Amino acid sequence: MITIKGLTVIIDGKIIIEDINLDIEDGEIVAIVGPNGGGKTTLVKTLLGFIKPSSGVVYIDGKSPKEFIGEGKVGYLPQKSSYERDFPVSALDVVMFGLINEKIQKSQKLKRSIEYIKYVGMEGFENHPFGKLSGGQQQRIMIARALISQPKLLILDEPSTGIDMVAQENFYEFLKKINQEKGITVIMVSHDIGVVANYVHKVVGLNRKLHFFGKPKDFFQTNVLSQLYDSDVNLVIHSPECITCQHFTPDKLLEGFKH
Amino acid sequence: MSILELLTTDFILNAVIGGLILAILLSVLSLFIYVKKWSFINVGISHAAFGGLAIGYLTGISPSITGSIFAILVGVLIGFLSRKGKFHEDISIGILLSFSMAFGVILISLSNNYNSDLFSFLFGNILTITREDITILGIFTVISFGFLYIYFQRLLYCCFDEEVAKVSGVKTDFLYYSLIVLMAIAIVLSIKLVGSILASAMMILPTATSSQVFWHYRNIIISSIIVSIFVVITGIFISFEFNLPSGSTIVMVYSVIFFVITAVKRFFK
Repeated sequence: MITIKGLTVIIDGKIIIEDINLDIEDGEIVAIVGPNGGGKTTLVKTLLGFIKPSSGVVYIDGKSPKEFIGEGKVGYLPQKSSYERDFPVSALDVVMFGLINEKIQKSQKLKRSIEYIKYVGMEGFENHPFGKLSGGQQQRIMIARALISQPKLLILDEPSTGIDMVAQENFYEFLKKINQEKGITVIMVSHDIGVVANYVHKVVGLNRKLHFFGKPKDFFQTNVLSQLYDSDVNLVIHSPECITCQHFTPDKLLEGFKH
Repeated sequence: MSILELLTTDFILNAVIGGLILAILLSVLSLFIYVKKWSFINVGISHAAFGGLAIGYLTGISPSITGSIFAILVGVLIGFLSRKGKFHEDISIGILLSFSMAFGVILISLSNNYNSDLFSFLFGNILTITREDITILGIFTVISFGFLYIYFQRLLYCCFDEEVAKVSGVKTDFLYYSLIVLMAIAIVLSIKLVGSILASAMMILPTATSSQVFWHYRNIIISSIIVSIFVVITGIFISFEFNLPSGSTIVMVYSVIFFVITAVKRFFK
């Protein structure tokens, strides 16, 4: 699905990401984790064609990001905690934005939008002002907007920003569900490794360079955390199996997963 | 003189027709200025038209033409600097606004053609609207509405979230600059109504007022048009009756309505 070879991005003379090589398979959920300023958002923006590589190449289904996006096959959820409260659109309008380039009748657009609002569990909120919805509700509507064009790739930049822990876990469960039902490849940037580890197939550990690419289990097994964050790190694992959600240090993580 | 008698007077009739067309046009464009938070861009462009007018006075070319061209150029430059020049929009506008005004004042001080038209340009005189002005205004309004009919949803999507709209395949650069050009021309055309100083107000007040009552864009546009029509007609007759400058009277009526609605809304909250 996505092939990245020797990708380096330099912005204003500063190396933001350096010599990244990745192969992401169709239908995978991949989390990009790493410290602030580690290049996570830059990598996402390069995948979206907003930033040109200084060197190296990025292919999505054998095409350049711009070509692939031009075909309307990407759903994107940007990093945003909330939208303008008084932006004058309804939740239904926002979902319908996702069909802006579809050459179908308005009545069909309306029908499909209502279906997707239902799919994300927001039935009854169609005619609510979008800006007045909670962070988690806005996110679901934005997901419906991203999914309605039936993309092959869903890119989410910090989807948990501005929503509480319960809403986050519901959201990741929901992502897992759409990945399984629709076979969409999902790439998401996240700060919270402890939470996303339970829901993703692979983890990309990025701090300018690629420090890790593999299964979440292996991520915690290696010494990658301290390399990635340049210091000793304690993690909080929010495993569905973990009743009390205890604190774990990297060497106790595997044990934590068994609970 | 009764209102009906006034309407039989050519220049009043022209003022009313011109005012109504502008009321409708500016009400619709106002939505985008409001959601994009472009009120300062608007002020920048309307002041930039002053520099263009000065060129007209100095060279003897029609000030409306030089004003329009200058306003469009400055508008596009503001847009370009904001998007590509890594300046915040406010900085680009602040610099270009000061430059245009300073440039205009210097040129006008050099010109021997300075006359009372300049006062009309700054503060508006709707009673000077001619049939020719109405024709130009009408043609521009039809073109603008044609553009908005095709691109309305895409423009709204860009205003909502430009990055996301881009990923959805919307040509965001084209829409951004098209909106600036439309706005610049609309501002220059509204100068006869309210003058360059107050032209920006007519693009901010309609949506700012309606959004106090309605939250959805469709209702905001409809109510903005209705209120603007009322304000323009009332403003014209009050200014005629009491011999006041038309532009300032119209903006005053609009501002009063805005403050009353805001106060009533706060009171009942």
